[in-house]
Amino acid sequence: MPLENGKLKELYRKMVTVRTLEQRVEQLVTAARIPCSGHFGTGQEAVGVGVSGPLRTDDYLFGTHRGFAEYIGKGMTPAEILTEYYGKATSLSRGRLGQHLLKVDIGVMPLPSSLGSEFGMAVGAALSSKLRGSGQVAVNLFGEGTAGQADFGPALEMASLWSLPLIFACNNNQYVELAHYRNVVATEDIAPRAAGYGVAYEIVDGNDITRVYEATERAVERARNGGGPMLLEFKTYRRGSHYTGDPGGYQPAEEIAAWAKKDPIDRCRERMLADGVWSEAEEQALRQAVQDEIDAAVQFAEESPYPDPATVYEHIYAQGGMSA
Amino acid sequence: MSQRKITFIQAVREAFQEEMRRDERVFVLGQDVQAGIFGTTSGLVREFGQERVINTPICESATVGAALGAAMTGMRPVVQIMFGDFNYMAMEITANQAGQWHYISDGALRAPMVIETPSGARGGAGYGHSQSLEAAFILPPGLKVAVPSTPYDAKGLLKSAIRDDNPVLFFEHRRLLTQRGPVPEEEYLIPLGQADVKREGRDVTLVAVSATVQKALRAAEELSRRGVEVEVIDPRTLVPLDKETIFRSLQKTYRLVVVEEGRRRGGFGAELSATAMDEWFDYLDAPVQRLGAISAPLPYSPVLEAACIPSEEDIVHAVLRVLGEEE
Repeated sequence: MPLENGKLKELYRKMVTVRTLEQRVEQLVTAARIPCSGHFGTGQEAVGVGVSGPLRTDDYLFGTHRGFAEYIGKGMTPAEILTEYYGKATSLSRGRLGQHLLKVDIGVMPLPSSLGSEFGMAVGAALSSKLRGSGQVAVNLFGEGTAGQADFGPALEMASLWSLPLIFACNNNQYVELAHYRNVVATEDIAPRAAGYGVAYEIVDGNDITRVYEATERAVERARNGGGPMLLEFKTYRRGSHYTGDPGGYQPAEEIAAWAKKDPIDRCRERMLADGVWSEAEEQALRQAVQDEIDAAVQFAEESPYPDPATVYEHIYAQGGMSA
Repeated sequence: MSQRKITFIQAVREAFQEEMRRDERVFVLGQDVQAGIFGTTSGLVREFGQERVINTPICESATVGAALGAAMTGMRPVVQIMFGDFNYMAMEITANQAGQWHYISDGALRAPMVIETPSGARGGAGYGHSQSLEAAFILPPGLKVAVPSTPYDAKGLLKSAIRDDNPVLFFEHRRLLTQRGPVPEEEYLIPLGQADVKREGRDVTLVAVSATVQKALRAAEELSRRGVEVEVIDPRTLVPLDKETIFRSLQKTYRLVVVEEGRRRGGFGAELSATAMDEWFDYLDAPVQRLGAISAPLPYSPVLEAACIPSEEDIVHAVLRVLGEEE
């Protein structure tokens, strides 16, 4: 289905929230207010926001380490993200997860430190959905570099063999850590690998929020109706560094500038303005509202207490079941 | 208790049948689980169908990953890793993921899953199909480790493992698989974390793991003929460990020997010895004796393999050493 204007505005708001929040968190990391480093995704916000856009609340999302797009997209708030990054007692995990954003009750599933370890887990979530007949779809977002992990092929194989409701969503931002992906990835496209396992695939402009959303929506509906898995590859570009404070210098300035002209937020706004569904006044109001929300979230995280060290002994094992 | 005797394999299969009938969330996946390479899952597919007895591609890590993903989303999978050695291929998922997400999610996620894994040296299987790797799973947090030594224990422990809300490694020593033992017709469970005193004795506490329990019992008979009464304790699970039962025995014997087929260096015996020093020092009349495999790969020739792992005779000597009757 074509994207409705109301939904498009919601996606736009989320993209603006993601970029504003990422810029703010990067400042907080640099200022050592936040103990971890950060991996941000300036220029690729349309992928995570667009992929999570068509999902039901109970659909499973296995996201990436880069940026907040799919996490804001799936419904996490800036305050939930900031309190995790700060390691504060008010975070959903009470200071245990940090960058590994998780919110189980809206289907935000584990982001393993060892990227690619979620391939099997996403298969399992989709298998579970199928066995329970729940109609839930699982989406596994991963980078083109993570496609090198050992479980990628077997996950495609299992999803294909068992016709699972699982969407493999490759966010190809062209940089694998500190190197252009063609240094370490043998082919320009990841998507055709799916064919080797009998899985359908599609390559999509990852800087066009409408195309990302609509391609994902088609794949999700197909999977929900028993059509099996699909691999979507979104072509985008990471304009920022791998991590805050990395040495830099490996991305040509003209390459960054060329992709800046294809910025997904600018493209979305210009199209909405041209179509007459968005105004400068709405833009100003949105920017202010997003800024206010993030300011409040930063203040909340700053003022929140750290967890009580005595809590480290809690939840090592799940109680219940037969024995503890 | 009835006097019915069945094999270890049959006991494990009965545990699967009973738990799969009881709870439709329980399912089995792994390489060749439909045919059942060692027999523990044979025939399940006839009763429960291919949806609940799933043959997987050859990839241990993605298979354990799939079990974990299913466990986190409301199912209770049992994944079979055909040989214990192959657990290293899935170690990233088991150790870095399965055991940790409950904790780091602050309890939001659970991973109720079992890894059933035939393992151990049985003569002539070579370096990569023979290891006893139980101790490798003591180190990562959040896992439980079951090491049954009898058909009775295997059935009761597996049923508990399937009902547990944590990931449980369930090791089946391949020398035990075809052995018979009494298993009642009626249902029973054995809690994880409850040791069993396999033989009572007043002189020495001998803690034995998995297949070494039988060697320990034979050694105890031999020692009894020499006037030494050994108490043989099977911990049945290494995590959680029933320290109380071992300590109770030590308060009687003041002497501790521990034997395992896994490697001695960094093994369960090392952990138990350290525990004894930390917590029971006043109840030790002699240094703890610990036996395990040498820190070498297990060679193929059955003669060489046997030379790497503790024998009944080694156990006899260890007991005599802890008594000060041998150097």
